[in-house]
Amino acid sequence: MDSKKNENLMIEIHDVGRVFHTPSGDYQALKCVNAGVREGSLTILKGRSGSGKTTLLNIIGALDDPTTGRVIINGQNIGGLSGYRKEILRRKRIGFVFQSVSLMPSMNAFQNVEFSLYMAGIRGDHRHRVEECLKMVGLGSRMHHMPAEMSGGEQQRVAIARALAHHPDIILADEPTAELDSAMAAEVTRLFQEMTKKEGVTIVMTTHDVGLMDAGDMVIELENGVQIT
Amino acid sequence: MLKVTLQKIWHKKWMVLCLLLGCILLVATVVSFPLYRHAAFDRMIQDEFDQYVDETGLWPCIDKMTVNVKQDRGGATITKMENTLSELSQGMGVTPKERIRYYYLAKSAIHSTMNRTDLWLDGLRLAMLSGLSEHAKMISGEMYSEKGITEDGALEVVVSQDCLINNNLLVGEVLEFDNMKDADGNKIRLKIMGVFEEADKTDFYWQIKPSDLKVAAMVNENVFRDYFLGENAFRYTMTCNYYHLFEYKDLTSDQADRLLEKSRYYYEESSIRSILGTNQYREILQSYLAKRTRIEAALFILQVPVLILLCAFLFMISGQMYDMERNEISVMKSRGGSSGQMFRLYLYQSMFLTGIGAAFGIPLGTVFCRILGSTQNFLEFTNRRTLEVTFDESVWRYAAFAILGSILIMTLPALKHSRLTIVKLKQSNALKKTALWEKLFLDVILLGISLYGYYSFRQNQDTLAGQVMEGQSLDPLLYASSSLFILGMGLLFLRIQPWVIRLIYVLGKRFWRPASYASFVENIKNGRKQQFIMLFMILTISLGMYHAVVARTILQNAEDNAKYLETADIVIKEVWNRMPTGPDAQAVSGANQFIEPDISRYSTIPGVAQYTKVYVDELAQVNTQDGTKASATLLGIHTREYGQITELEDGLLAKAYYTYLNELAQEPNGLLVSANFRDKMGYKVGDSLQYTEQFGRTLTGKIVDFFEYWPGYEPAPLSMQADGTTQRTDNRMVIANIATLQKDLGVYPYEVWIKLQSSDNTDGVYTWIKDKNIHVSKFRDRSRELQKVVQDPLLQGTNGVLTMGFIVTIILCAVGYLIYWIMSIRSREMIFGVLRACGMHKGELFHMLINEQIFSGVLSIFAGIGIGHLTSRMFVPMLQTAYAASNQVLPMKLIINQMDMNRLYIVIAGVMVICLLVLLLLVLKLNVTKALKLGEE
Repeated sequence: MDSKKNENLMIEIHDVGRVFHTPSGDYQALKCVNAGVREGSLTILKGRSGSGKTTLLNIIGALDDPTTGRVIINGQNIGGLSGYRKEILRRKRIGFVFQSVSLMPSMNAFQNVEFSLYMAGIRGDHRHRVEECLKMVGLGSRMHHMPAEMSGGEQQRVAIARALAHHPDIILADEPTAELDSAMAAEVTRLFQEMTKKEGVTIVMTTHDVGLMDAGDMVIELENGVQIT
Repeated sequence: MLKVTLQKIWHKKWMVLCLLLGCILLVATVVSFPLYRHAAFDRMIQDEFDQYVDETGLWPCIDKMTVNVKQDRGGATITKMENTLSELSQGMGVTPKERIRYYYLAKSAIHSTMNRTDLWLDGLRLAMLSGLSEHAKMISGEMYSEKGITEDGALEVVVSQDCLINNNLLVGEVLEFDNMKDADGNKIRLKIMGVFEEADKTDFYWQIKPSDLKVAAMVNENVFRDYFLGENAFRYTMTCNYYHLFEYKDLTSDQADRLLEKSRYYYEESSIRSILGTNQYREILQSYLAKRTRIEAALFILQVPVLILLCAFLFMISGQMYDMERNEISVMKSRGGSSGQMFRLYLYQSMFLTGIGAAFGIPLGTVFCRILGSTQNFLEFTNRRTLEVTFDESVWRYAAFAILGSILIMTLPALKHSRLTIVKLKQSNALKKTALWEKLFLDVILLGISLYGYYSFRQNQDTLAGQVMEGQSLDPLLYASSSLFILGMGLLFLRIQPWVIRLIYVLGKRFWRPASYASFVENIKNGRKQQFIMLFMILTISLGMYHAVVARTILQNAEDNAKYLETADIVIKEVWNRMPTGPDAQAVSGANQFIEPDISRYSTIPGVAQYTKVYVDELAQVNTQDGTKASATLLGIHTREYGQITELEDGLLAKAYYTYLNELAQEPNGLLVSANFRDKMGYKVGDSLQYTEQFGRTLTGKIVDFFEYWPGYEPAPLSMQADGTTQRTDNRMVIANIATLQKDLGVYPYEVWIKLQSSDNTDGVYTWIKDKNIHVSKFRDRSRELQKVVQDPLLQGTNGVLTMGFIVTIILCAVGYLIYWIMSIRSREMIFGVLRACGMHKGELFHMLINEQIFSGVLSIFAGIGIGHLTSRMFVPMLQTAYAASNQVLPMKLIINQMDMNRLYIVIAGVMVICLLVLLLLVLKLNVTKALKLGEE
């Protein structure tokens, strides 16, 4: 793929490779991955455990640096950013949803979502936005519950609302459905689809759940770090 | 199971090390208590007896028996008594020092065979004193021989000098009793072989002094037995005295109880009680035991807070460990591990830890004991007099108690956790509970009790001082109320703290950066979890401060008081010779004229800086304005020299000390008098005062000023009344110019007050007195009195306990805080990972953690400092009363030693810095992907 800026592409992945140096020798987690993710689309990163999908997601999220190649987000090569700029990028333009529930245990649902707005530096009255996001994930009535008082699915939905609240360009979700039953998993995926349409946000999620493949606008499949689709 | 336990321990080595430290300190502290008690009390009992010997010159440990025997058939009574005596000495379980038999026959008329008519005696007692020949030295003549009878059948006797002179006897003279006959019916004759006196006057053998034997002729014991005891006993009337002297040097504290109990039996219940005489040692033992009980109680109560802190420390650390392992436990449980297995796992672990704890703790306990014994002042040690550390059964009992206690503290929480399945864990996580103490208003209750104690003791401070003097045991509430107050205030702070945080949060809500926001929310929601460590911090800091102030105040006040009462470095009063009252002696005023020793000799004493004459008359009287007489102490001083030698602390008097001396100096006839002349007797400055010195001569002086305090002057000491109660009685003091007194009265024996170049180097004085053979009738050494204060078992023990408590507290505080924070942060690593992933900078994360530190740690530290100060100001004066000697004169001064406080602050600051460094390290090392388990492999 050529390197000139493509108006429609939110994420461009160019020849990305990642080698982990371990005591037992080098381990190639990713090998020359190329992809372009369109703005406002839901992309599914598919693959078995150990296929390198989380590594790729971390690289897209500027949590990890590729050994080779580069990632361009909204026309900006994130490899060239300082640690501080990367943090700003993560704060303002990216929302994360993690596999294991990752809410702040001392904050209720509302505060957890509100906190991401603080983090993104959005000041002023954001009660409305927080409520909007929580309603979108179907938790309008449980806004003031603590994480410990909610089920796994509910907690995950709070995490999704949190990732969405500060109007990020991209939401990166790492196995968001792994700990949920299939009905709940389908519900989360439906939510992502709705969010791409309503908010125009670009979502990349990893999964090993074959049943969810059809939901995405695009599927990138990895096997042993090699892109197969 | 053992392997699992060991693996578990290895896995959590830091935590385990902390637990181990707690165990070791707990065992050591607990064990040091009986060890110290033993050693100190053994030393104290020696001190008590030594003091008696020093003060009276008498041997206190004597049982005396006296039997009057008349017509004793076959001497059975005497034989029985002699057996009883040896039974008694065995029965008491003491080491005999000396057994003295002093038997004498009834006085019987006697005449000289030399037909002298100038014998002054009307009769003589024939007596025997066992061991006389070994202890006596002959002034003239010789001791009776081994055989004891002369060639011609006279009994060989020796007499005392008093006997010889009083009766006008001659050495070598043969006397014959008018009526007393031996078994064969012959009149008994005596030959005076010599005159004896004590070979060593200080030998305690001399219970019967030669000067007591004014009409007694001493015969050889064997002769006495042959002639007057056994079969012959029925012919004579005699008195048998037995003296059983026993040793106190090997008397231990434990034996004291037994000895008192045994002697109580002999003196109050046994059949021989009627023949036992008075004794001193029972009284000494009784007062010793009363003192011991008081010290024991005081030391124990002072140690309790430290023990509680230690237990709390163990509880906290093991609680942290359980929290960390909660998941593990619940998973194991859910997989079918039985509660019993879980419980056993923890039981083994705590047993393992306490085992090691005991192995190190017991030896450390002996170190603690030595520290206790060598404490000279708060956090100051000396190795002048080390304690004999002995292990006995009670030490092991205490050790077992400590071991059991720490096992319990460490395992009991496991009982709760071992029932926890993963389901219950999740449920319990969801529950928010108000702490039990909050619901019970424990803080309010504790404060109520302690304030009640505070006010009731405050109101009755004088009664309290009286109780101390009467030897009553004090209300434990007196000691406990300060600890209760600290605990109550600490809890109250915990109750208020969340509201303060909430208020700050709400007030500045618009301005908080995300990091502050997160930490506020964290604290408001999860602050309860930190209550324990916060309380722990508050308690350690405030107790540490309080203990420091208590120790310093008690000792400093006792020392100041001793210094005040002792007036000068050295006070010597020589024995003055009287002027010969011959016809050529000039009659000055009155008959009693003394020869003044050469006072310039004092300047030759090595180490003397200055000396002055001080005339002290404790038997003076003053004529009150209503015409009656009141007793007073009269002091004659040389104002300039006196001012250079004595000192008085600033602030005790209305004007500077020297002003008073100057006022006196300017008025040769002037008098400085104690303030009660003004306050109770209505005198004013300028009034003339009539006073009478010890020999009855009256003088008049003009009052130039009144003083409240004067070196050595006790305005109104507490004294014990005949009915055992205490009361304050006024002391009066009149100070005049010595020159005026000597001009009017002549020169009378005065004291010499000495200032030394170095106040604790008194060796020169002692050698001077010895070398110059100075006869001293009064001698005071201030440094020795101060040393006594420092070595007083109650003060020394208190200092020791408080010093040790302070050290232990500081260690606990540092370790407890660090471990708590490290664990609390490590348990939240994942959350920090999330925050970092969401774009939080390292700096912000650090900032957030610092905020948390401020909310809990720093706030608790300030609360602890505040509470410590408050408690010291409120409760130290009360506690000081309980410690003060009955002769405490000076007003109490609260001693807050800045060095101690700085030590405490430095340690706290050090802990905080280490804590921050650890936080920084954790933040820097935090691997986002690892924390979130995002990375593959």
